[in-house]
Amino acid sequence: MIEVSHLVKNYRDLKAVQDVSFEVKTGEILGFLGPNGAGKTTTMRILTGVIPPTSGSVKVCGFDVFEQPMEVKRRIGYLPENPPLYTEMTVRDYLGFVASIKGVGRKARKAEVESVAVKTNCDKFIERVIGNLSKGQRQRVGLAQALLGDPEVLILDEPTVGLDPAQIIEVRELIKSLAGKHTIVLSTHILPEVTATCQRVLIIAGGKVVANDDLSGLRDRYAGAATADGRPGPAPSLEEIFLKLTSA
Amino acid sequence: MRNTIAIARKELNIYFATPIAYVMFTLFVVISSFFFLSLLSQYEYVSLQYMRMNNPELMNRLNFQDMIFRGLFGNLGVILIFIVPFLTMRLVAEEKRTKTIELLYTTPITPLEIVLGKYFACLSILAVALGLTLLYPALLQILAKDAAGVEWRSVALGYLGLFLIGAAYIAVGLFISALTDSQVVAALITFVVLLMSWIVGWSAARLEGWFREFVLYLTAVTHLESFSRGVVEPKDIVYFLSIVLFGLFATHRAVEAHRWS
Repeated sequence: MIEVSHLVKNYRDLKAVQDVSFEVKTGEILGFLGPNGAGKTTTMRILTGVIPPTSGSVKVCGFDVFEQPMEVKRRIGYLPENPPLYTEMTVRDYLGFVASIKGVGRKARKAEVESVAVKTNCDKFIERVIGNLSKGQRQRVGLAQALLGDPEVLILDEPTVGLDPAQIIEVRELIKSLAGKHTIVLSTHILPEVTATCQRVLIIAGGKVVANDDLSGLRDRYAGAATADGRPGPAPSLEEIFLKLTSA
Repeated sequence: MRNTIAIARKELNIYFATPIAYVMFTLFVVISSFFFLSLLSQYEYVSLQYMRMNNPELMNRLNFQDMIFRGLFGNLGVILIFIVPFLTMRLVAEEKRTKTIELLYTTPITPLEIVLGKYFACLSILAVALGLTLLYPALLQILAKDAAGVEWRSVALGYLGLFLIGAAYIAVGLFISALTDSQVVAALITFVVLLMSWIVGWSAARLEGWFREFVLYLTAVTHLESFSRGVVEPKDIVYFLSIVLFGLFATHRAVEAHRWS
C-alpha cells in the first residue's frame, strides 16, 4: 500500500532523512518511532506530498507521490503534528470545508461530517469556534479532519498529544478499529501506545532506519542472553529496545 | 471550480467570523460619506452662486457627474489604497504562519484553485463595499428631482473603474501576502507599494516628454480618472487587467515555491 524506497531529504546542510526504505501493507498499522529530530515528521510530510524529497520515491496505493500527487492526495488523510485548524471557524464549518476540498459531494457532506464527528467525539462541541477549544479537543478535530472522506491511508503524526488518559484510550480504540480497512502510519513518542495499537514498528534515528520488524520479532532479536539451562532470556520492553537502538 | 468556490467560501467565512469585513465596510462608508457630503455642500454652494448671478448657461453646465461623482470616485480610489492591505494581508501569510497551508497541500486541490479562491473571496468583499456606496447616487436621484439627474451610465463606468483598480490592488496584496508569513509585514509592504503607485504621479508635473507620459501611465489613479469622467479606454482596462493577471500568476508561483523551500 505504501512503498518508500531510498528516500533522501536534505535541508541545505542538514541531512534530515538518509536513504529510508520501508513498506506498509494494506490494513496494517505501522508504529513510526524515533527520537525528536530523527526525521519522522519530514518523512511523513514527504509521504503526504507536502514537500518533495531530494531523491528517492514514495508510492501510495500504486501512485507515485511526485508524479501523480492528486491521485495520492485523494487517498490520504493526514494529521500533522500541529492540527491545521482555522481558529476563527466553528468545528462544523471547518469540517464541512475540509470535506468539500477532499471531494465529498455536497449531498453526502453533512452526513459525513456528522459521522466523523461522532467517531472522534467532536459532536459535543461541533458548534463551537475552534479558537475556544482545549488542546485535546483541537487534537480530536484534527483527527476528525484526517478521517473525512474515508481515505484508504492515514498518516497520523502524534495523534494523542494533549489528550487526557481517558481520551488517549478512546483514540487508541478508534485507531485500532480503523485497522484492516485502512492502512495507518502512526508516529508517536509514547511507546506503550505502539505496543497497544501497532502490529509493526519502524524505528528511525538520525534520519536512518534502525529497526523495521513486528513487535515479537524485535523482542526476540533483542532478548537478553539465554540462561544456563537453555531457556531464552527475558524479553526486553519496547523502551529498552528503543533506547538501545537510538542511543547508538 | 468547485474547489475554488470552497476556498472562497472558507475565506468569506473567516472574513465575517472576524470583525475584518464589518470594520472595513463601516470605515469605507464613513470615509466615503464624509467625502460625499463635502462634495455635495460644495455643489450646493456653487449652484447658489450661479443662481445669484442668474446665468442660465453656467447653470446648464452644472451637473452631478462633474461636480460630485468625479471627485468622489477619485477619493474612493485613494481610500482603497488604505483599505486593501488590511483585506489581503492575512490571505496567504496567516496560512503559512499557522501551517494550515499544509492542509491545502495534502488535499486534492491545485495551487491555482487556492489562489483563485482567495482572490475571488476578496473581490466579493470589495464589490459589497463599493455596492454600499451606491446609496449616494440613489439618494441624489430620489431627492434632486428638478436637477438634471444622475447620469447612470457614467456612474456605472465610474464604479467599473473603481472595481478594476480595487481588483488590481487586491492582486498585488495577495502576491505580497504569499511572500511572507507575517501579516503585519504583508500589510506594510502592500500599503507602501500601493501608495507608491499613487504618489509617483505627483512627480509627473515636473517632468516632460515621453518620460512624463510613462510615469503617468504607471500611476494607477490616472487610469481611474478616465473612468470617472465616464469614458472607457482600452489602455486603462489593459493596465488593470495586466496587473491582475501578473499578480495572480506571481502568487501562484510563490505558493508553489513555498513547498520547495
